[in-house]
Amino acid sequence: MEKQVATNTEPQIQTKKYPYYIEQPVDQNRVGRFLEIFAAVLSYTDYKPLLDSYCTTNTKCNRCAVACPIFVTTGDPKDIPCYKTNLLLNIYKRYFTIGGWFKSRFSFNSFELTEEMIDEMLDLFYRCTVCQRCTKECPLGVDHGLITRLGRYILSLMRIVPKALQVSVREQLEGETHNTSKVPKIALIDTLEFLAEEMEEILGIQLEFPCDKMNRGYTFFCAVSDYLLEPDTLMGNAAVLYASGDWDNWTIGTCNYDGINYGLFYSDWHLERIILQMVKEVDRLNGRKILIGECGHASRSAHEFVPVFGGARPYPVMNFMEYTLESLKNGKISLNPDIITEKVTYHDPCNIARSGWIVNQPREILRSFVKNFIEMEPNGQFNYCCGGGGGLVSIDEINEYRMEVSGKVKADQIIKTGAEIIISPCANCKKQLRELVEHYHLPCKVMGLHDLILQAIEIPGGKSTEERKAERMEMEMMG
Amino acid sequence: MEAWINFAKGPLFTVTFLIMLLGLARLVLIQVYSLFITKGRRLKNAPWKTIFSDLSTWMVPVRHLIKGTIIFSLVSFIFHVTAILVSLFLIDHIVLWEDYLGINLPAIGRGLADILTLTTIACILILFCCRLFVPRQRAMSQKMDYVLLIMVLLPFVFGYMAGHPYLNPLPWQTAMLLHILSAEALFVVIPFTKLAHIVLYIFDRLSALHWQLKPGAGDKVAEALFGKEARV
Repeated sequence: MEKQVATNTEPQIQTKKYPYYIEQPVDQNRVGRFLEIFAAVLSYTDYKPLLDSYCTTNTKCNRCAVACPIFVTTGDPKDIPCYKTNLLLNIYKRYFTIGGWFKSRFSFNSFELTEEMIDEMLDLFYRCTVCQRCTKECPLGVDHGLITRLGRYILSLMRIVPKALQVSVREQLEGETHNTSKVPKIALIDTLEFLAEEMEEILGIQLEFPCDKMNRGYTFFCAVSDYLLEPDTLMGNAAVLYASGDWDNWTIGTCNYDGINYGLFYSDWHLERIILQMVKEVDRLNGRKILIGECGHASRSAHEFVPVFGGARPYPVMNFMEYTLESLKNGKISLNPDIITEKVTYHDPCNIARSGWIVNQPREILRSFVKNFIEMEPNGQFNYCCGGGGGLVSIDEINEYRMEVSGKVKADQIIKTGAEIIISPCANCKKQLRELVEHYHLPCKVMGLHDLILQAIEIPGGKSTEERKAERMEMEMMG
Repeated sequence: MEAWINFAKGPLFTVTFLIMLLGLARLVLIQVYSLFITKGRRLKNAPWKTIFSDLSTWMVPVRHLIKGTIIFSLVSFIFHVTAILVSLFLIDHIVLWEDYLGINLPAIGRGLADILTLTTIACILILFCCRLFVPRQRAMSQKMDYVLLIMVLLPFVFGYMAGHPYLNPLPWQTAMLLHILSAEALFVVIPFTKLAHIVLYIFDRLSALHWQLKPGAGDKVAEALFGKEARV
């Protein structure tokens, strides 16, 4: 990764080089600060038994190396997941275990944390996309993603965190808009009005998006960037809700409408606060369920952590694809199988697929209306990361790394399918895949699942799918 | 020499075996306490289905033979199976289990035991070569990784030599003493090295439970480091 220098800091403390922009580089006594923070983290969290177990059992068998798309591309031993995990485990062993203390007192060859090791950690922990594919291939089940995340957490408390992530999280937690893209409420309402007009034009139905409606079944959160960048995904979501007869059973809260949770990638502190902010909004609206749009990490963070942080009776969390499949199975929606004729493939977002949670649902939906569906190999729980996971996609200054290294295996996988459309129900994956398609000049386009559903869904009282297809083709011919 | 063998088979065996058992019990108790007591009700949200499915597929990891690791994975799997079978079910060991623990296990035949022992030795040598000659494995390996492989190898080599006096350049008693001592050395290091995965394996496979983070811990860490007014 090319080293770049942060630009927005005081010149007198600008002595180190970081691989990504950071806000306030700490260049003095980093070793002491790291150990102080590590000790505080161990005091208040549950990580100690995990580290104890990994320290003892880590066999360094290297199976994780071949599972990691980054190591497969670079062949650099520093990119082996076990190598990165050992960086942190060695520090834990030396400074926080009796064995480590004993060895440091009585051995001539004891390990000491150095400034260079901190440089190595802050680089390597952000070369990993935290996709956890290595964990699936580890015979012992060592979760390298969790350790990388813990390393990032400690570094973030030293204020060593990519500026792109920190600025977004600050706005989400402490800013006026409470969302990562700084979209004000008025812009949200404008966007929803625009989407309603578009839906009237495309589908032939008149709608008003429900905002701040009380006592609704579903409170909807998507990646806030979707409101700016993915109108088709949102219209697809809305079309499914309308056709399912649930239009009066959902709402968007205008105090908090962002499902993004970068805390999942680097900080327990932020992760919990963002989840509590989401729960507070559902409380305000007296909602019953949290419905997450097409976003992998937003879905995972809500699905896994609303039950952990959301109090004694946490709200159930549903991914939108689960909702759509349920509607399809119950016969509430109908998808025309003659509309999509292109060759379509599906990219599994790691955050929802690796655990096996959302693997079959999108495939069942796609197979019901896409005749020419082809799988990537491998897929599902063993899929390859798009190369932008773990927050990397938001760090623009490492674009070259994402294209040439972390996304290379995925680009090769896409080429092998020969697909014309790549479906990826995740805001982060879509951004990374679009950049890959552009970088490698791939003859395909990247879409969300509901973008495709928008084209094939039959809308009661609206235009037919054939009519809409004809209009779309006419528009395309007109350029 | 006879006295030495009796000492090694008697008090030394008891002490080393106890060190292993107590050491492993300590590790298990720490893990059980910290996972199941401190996490408490949070565990009900854990992805138990995935945990058990991963656990079962990894028991016989045929689904995990991926390109680049096939030889290593197969050899490693065969090694674990043969090493466990020989160590537990060899007729001479059965007597030990009965004498010391009162457990009556079925024995395997001498011929099969020989095949299993030689397979184990071959597997360890291949694993050693993998560490030595596969660049990515070599890069990750430290002295202890090689030392432990040799420590695991020795009881099998000396055991085979003791069982086959006509192939054995050493006197039978020497081979037997070395077999017992090398096995006892292994007992002592097991709880303090990566060999502890014989019991900690199951807890590593429960890694997903550690995503059930402690509510409020993030705030407490931030407050301890930056005070009550901690900002992002």
